[in-house]
Amino acid sequence: MSTTDNADNVFEGIRVADFAWVGVGPLVSKYLADHGAEVIRIESSVRPEPLRRAPPFINDTPGLDNSGYYADFNSSKKCASLNLQHPDGVKIAKRIVEHCDIVTESFTPKAMRAWGMTYEDLCEVRPDLIMISMPMYGLTGPWSMWQGYGHVLQAAVGISHLTAYPGEEPIGTGVAYTDFLVPHFAAAALIAALDHRQRTGEGQNIDFGQMEAALHATETMILDYHVNGREQQALGAGHPDHEIYGTWQCAARGDDGDDDDRWIAITVTSNDELAALAHVAGEPDWTTLDAKSLQTEIAAWTRKQQAEELMHRLQTAGVPAGVVQTPEDLRSDPQLAHRGHFWMLDHPTMGHRAYDGPSFRLSDTPAELTKSAPLLGEDNEFIYKDIVGMSDEEYVEHLVSGAFD
Amino acid sequence: MTTNAAAGPLAPFRVIDLTNELGQLAGRMLGDHGAEVIKVEPPGGDESRFIGPFRGDVVDPEQSLHWWTFNTNKLGATLDLTTLRGQELFTQLLENADFLVETCPPDAAAALGLGAENIRSEHPRLVHTSITPFGRDGPYANWKATDLVATAMGGLSSLCGAPGRPPIRPTASQGYTQASAQAVVGTMIAHYQRTKSGRGQHVDQSMQEAVTFTHDNASPTWDIRAINNERPGNGRQIGGYKSGQYVYEAADGYVAALSYGGLFGLTARQTVDWLDSHGMAGELTSDEWMTKLDATQGILIPPSGEDGDYLNQVLVEFCKRFTRAQLVAEAQQIRNGWGIVHTPRDLMENEHLAARDYWVDLEHEEGHLTYPGPWAKLSKTPLSVRHRAPHIGEHNDYVYSNLLGLSDEEIMKLSSNGVI
Repeated sequence: MSTTDNADNVFEGIRVADFAWVGVGPLVSKYLADHGAEVIRIESSVRPEPLRRAPPFINDTPGLDNSGYYADFNSSKKCASLNLQHPDGVKIAKRIVEHCDIVTESFTPKAMRAWGMTYEDLCEVRPDLIMISMPMYGLTGPWSMWQGYGHVLQAAVGISHLTAYPGEEPIGTGVAYTDFLVPHFAAAALIAALDHRQRTGEGQNIDFGQMEAALHATETMILDYHVNGREQQALGAGHPDHEIYGTWQCAARGDDGDDDDRWIAITVTSNDELAALAHVAGEPDWTTLDAKSLQTEIAAWTRKQQAEELMHRLQTAGVPAGVVQTPEDLRSDPQLAHRGHFWMLDHPTMGHRAYDGPSFRLSDTPAELTKSAPLLGEDNEFIYKDIVGMSDEEYVEHLVSGAFD
Repeated sequence: MTTNAAAGPLAPFRVIDLTNELGQLAGRMLGDHGAEVIKVEPPGGDESRFIGPFRGDVVDPEQSLHWWTFNTNKLGATLDLTTLRGQELFTQLLENADFLVETCPPDAAAALGLGAENIRSEHPRLVHTSITPFGRDGPYANWKATDLVATAMGGLSSLCGAPGRPPIRPTASQGYTQASAQAVVGTMIAHYQRTKSGRGQHVDQSMQEAVTFTHDNASPTWDIRAINNERPGNGRQIGGYKSGQYVYEAADGYVAALSYGGLFGLTARQTVDWLDSHGMAGELTSDEWMTKLDATQGILIPPSGEDGDYLNQVLVEFCKRFTRAQLVAEAQQIRNGWGIVHTPRDLMENEHLAARDYWVDLEHEEGHLTYPGPWAKLSKTPLSVRHRAPHIGEHNDYVYSNLLGLSDEEIMKLSSNGVI
């Protein structure tokens, strides 16, 4: 079959003005950038993107171009520096937007209103614009001006309530969980809107309240309360329907056994799997034990096993089991390696570093991480002169006046 | 709000949904976008109808809250794919569809005609999305994974729980959620590409790899500092640095704050003033402490050791004096992004979600039930949650008569042969 596709550039010709910061917004535009869109991050050194100030830093040396946290979320993008508080800042921002198909932002709603950069305002310079606003609580409503972060939002939507040891305080996940959840929902809606524009020519505005998307990650929590009056409770690693469903400590690893934090997840959801588990353990009587006794037996058994080896034995026997992998383990995981999850990219100040690629593989138009994260203002000349069309004199004038700070 | 007509961006398109719990949310999300989603189940009903909880705790395939949650906006048709006639009908369904989303185990896909190459050659326009535990190929492709195994293998569990205690998971399956939601992104990208090129493609989604995406900053932290972020209990780890407690007990429940409540970082001075206005800032108003806290403004590396313990203790004492609502309202006034640790009941009674018209009432035979509503507000092509999940075979007539044009006799015969 002949093809006219440029295989790596689904979004070729799509330009994005990315005003968003921290986790959610940059991860949405990363999907676009890693599939061929020209994403322009618009940031300022006057009020820097918070992740540029967050560790890990290369050589443990803080610096706006030294953060691995920022870098991982901003592959394949360009960056213009622009101070929106500068008298010319908003005017210049609108000149960038004029050349863009999509605007993304994740401030509380007052920011874009104060700058005169709402969807309605920006449609005046770009009538077929698609704009997505991704504040924590949406563009309207009594909490719309509230700030927040992913580890707070996981609490506000009930995920922390469901993440705890049984009967203990709600600790939530150890990550800013919703930052790694709601971008998928936002990206899906945004790309669907882009497809709609491709078919009809019509742009639109998307009011994406992070809280409302994150609530869809709570399974039956809402209906169970509504229908049965039951407030579901956290079960540690456990599952309400399965008794053998947990994490068990394994033997220490390392030459001197210094890593004694090795764990395996073992789950049994059928009698066949229970029999297979008993067989691997060489303990046929396990199929007759009550749950509590069996859990105790499993704990004593796994403590003497190497986690990786035990995982292979259990999976070969048909028992769903897996090592509780650390960040280090993920880098040598053969399945992730087979799928090419991590991309190694060169960065001017950070060197040869690992970046996450998307978790899906498209057969014809796979993602390509085309470059490492941009330095702050790295692409100013290209963006302001070649895209916006500033003359050399005008560019220098704005540079000197501090508009690009 | 109840919206019956689909006006979403996928309203012109049809989805065949052949998913189990691993991928049901993906079909649901496409339906929320306005697509007509036909859930294909084996005769007698899909196994996920037996996943609890159930209405009134009575096990019944028509009363599963799990089924209801993940299959709203879908039509239901039964079909036995293990029969030759069933596979013929399935092929006809795909000829009338734009998307196929399935969760078939890789080693069973070929036998069911769901191999990626097979689908591509027969249905070149179709966007075919496979959601599997580890991906369609590779060394672990035929391994099994429950939600916990995926959260373990993908690296999330190592970041959940307390030091020295077992790693945990959210008691709401995030492996399934992440796999489904990320698969929809891949599906949308393939869909957009099809609009340009006229050709579909295969989207191979791995649940493990979807979970890998949730590490926060743990991967660059290992890459740059050779330190594994660890499970922090009631706290966080940023870049390998332990950060303070962030869930605090209030007079009437819990609040989630920034690490040390905002006492390090940009809002430190305002936070001290706030505590001081209640007479509870302790030593923090001293010049010595101000100097220390100011030093954390530029770089988000939290204080630790005795200083961290002291900051924490000040917050613990402060929070237990006030209600959740009072703490969060006052914190937000000084731009500290605190929130309430909500329970399910709190959420359903939440004033903000109500003001946003978030909840949707869907009609069941048992009465109207309230569901979480659309998760984005699109101004021209609104998402919508339109109708409840289907009963077993509820839309067989629509699918086999209206869509495939079979006669009543043929449908009767298929039914008596157990094909549908």
